[in-house]
Amino acid sequence: MYDAIVVGSGAAGGVLAYNLNKSGAKVLLLEAGKDFRAKTFPKTEAEASPELFYGGGIEFDKRTTMGFLRARCLGGTTIVNQALLDRFDDVAFDDWRADTGVDWFSQDGLIRDYDAVEEKLEFTYIKEKHRNKSAHKFIDGMEKTGYEWGALRRGQGNCATDQGQDCIDCLNGCKRNSKQSTLVGYIQDAEREGLEIKCDFSVEHFEDNGDTVKVYCRHSGQDKVFETKKLILSAGSFGTTQILLKAELKHRLSAVGTGFTTHPQFLMFGVFDEIIDAHKGAFQSVKSDDPRFRPRGFKLENVYAQPIGISQLSPAIGLDFHRYMMKYRHISCVEVAVRDEATGTIALNSKGRLTIQKDLTDQDKSRSQDGLSIIREVLSAAGATEVIEGDIHFGLHLMGGARMGVSADDSVVDPEFKVHGMENVMVCDSSLFPNAPGINPSLTIMAMAHKLATQLSDRKVG
Amino acid sequence: MKSDYLSDKALKGLNTIGDIMVPAGEGFPSFSELGCIEHIDTVLCHAPAEDIQDLNAFLGLLSMCPKFIVRILINTTEKARKSEGKLAPTLRLLNAALRGIVFTLYYSGKHGKEYMGQTPPDIIGFELKCVPED
Repeated sequence: MYDAIVVGSGAAGGVLAYNLNKSGAKVLLLEAGKDFRAKTFPKTEAEASPELFYGGGIEFDKRTTMGFLRARCLGGTTIVNQALLDRFDDVAFDDWRADTGVDWFSQDGLIRDYDAVEEKLEFTYIKEKHRNKSAHKFIDGMEKTGYEWGALRRGQGNCATDQGQDCIDCLNGCKRNSKQSTLVGYIQDAEREGLEIKCDFSVEHFEDNGDTVKVYCRHSGQDKVFETKKLILSAGSFGTTQILLKAELKHRLSAVGTGFTTHPQFLMFGVFDEIIDAHKGAFQSVKSDDPRFRPRGFKLENVYAQPIGISQLSPAIGLDFHRYMMKYRHISCVEVAVRDEATGTIALNSKGRLTIQKDLTDQDKSRSQDGLSIIREVLSAAGATEVIEGDIHFGLHLMGGARMGVSADDSVVDPEFKVHGMENVMVCDSSLFPNAPGINPSLTIMAMAHKLATQLSDRKVG
Repeated sequence: MKSDYLSDKALKGLNTIGDIMVPAGEGFPSFSELGCIEHIDTVLCHAPAEDIQDLNAFLGLLSMCPKFIVRILINTTEKARKSEGKLAPTLRLLNAALRGIVFTLYYSGKHGKEYMGQTPPDIIGFELKCVPED
């Protein structure tokens, strides 16, 4: 019998497992994916996609217009993201509080938790001399068009980009233990302190028996059952919602699977005459920081991908595909990420597989077009001779599906992270977000996990 | 070559599709010349059994079709990337799956035993440096 089972090892699960284990509780961390470490991460982009992601690399909405990237490995999405770690602002929290009535949704309500996470992890801003040429093009274009830009705050230790390291490789898992994933920041420490971790364990459903919870898993084709005093679902928006749906909670809590949101990202490529090499060095270091963009509901970031990723966005096949790929080293890429309306749904089909409905609303479309027109302006001002717009957009921040709120009528989880009507089943991850914050969510998910871990430790779970 | 996941017929169908999507030219080898299909199992190793079954059936069927029919089908899925209509989501999904397999193999940096030329990542000048910390 465990004091707590944490399902999922990403931004929330890793922090929870570490802190609960440290408080003396007997904790089991369950992860559906494999256990990769710095020395064992897939070596190439082609191997990484099927090994580290659901859907062989990408999953799609029902209309196949939006692709979702969802990690499946120890450390979850913190292994494959860019570790951009920002606190939420008042705009995000005020909207959340107004939407839900949860009074701790505020910068003050999470200040001790943000502080604790920031004390545990390493952060950096890429220095001007280490920014790559793509970042310089972005800055040049932003300045020439009169928009403000800023440096991205990155969770990383020693990436050694000043020694010629190319940090785009860490999208396949950081081989240097530099990226501040939960694996590096929390799980490996907790493991040394005795945390029990089981990878390749997929939680199918659970049974709340009042005093304890039974957790049913699949592992290597076998059924496994564990028993715990507290079950904490931290499997992310899709994973947690899937488990809640399989537990048939939708009958009692109609909000399960609703309010899905994802900060849809639209890419634009600026093609330059000279070589840009956007994939070299510190490939993502700057963003828009213009106060006019926040109320307009979007932000811009300088991004890129390795050839397989870029090839999927080719506007053509055949010889035109080759001509497009020959521009790979000449491209500077900027994305607009939209603060979208929470109208998406997460459901199960007859085979128990996830189906995601995520149509863009008129407001979402208007915001993306607003951002794309600015990118076009910025890239042209920086000297791009051609601008190519991607025809597929992406959801990298998967949020909602088990929103937090005070009432069981319109939410799934109460302000103490407990599923309404269940004393021992909790949710702590991005699925409890009531709407899109418009800011990278990782740090706040970690802070929320710290808050829950503190709350449980204070009550002497274990 | 043999695959643990795809039948011989399906492999033949995939090579036909690959050569339509990625023909020889502009200094690049065709999909089949490169021989990257020999590494198909790396791409499919975690695909659900149900999806592998569907893929085998689909590619096996295409292996028996004349090339112009396969070309029409591929072009139809390409057009669906930007179109609406009842069939568009299914065609887009098919397009994403085919692009996912063909382009991933083509830019994987891997090639067949008989191919002696540069790989596509080499041709576009792609290289990465990441030295693990001791």
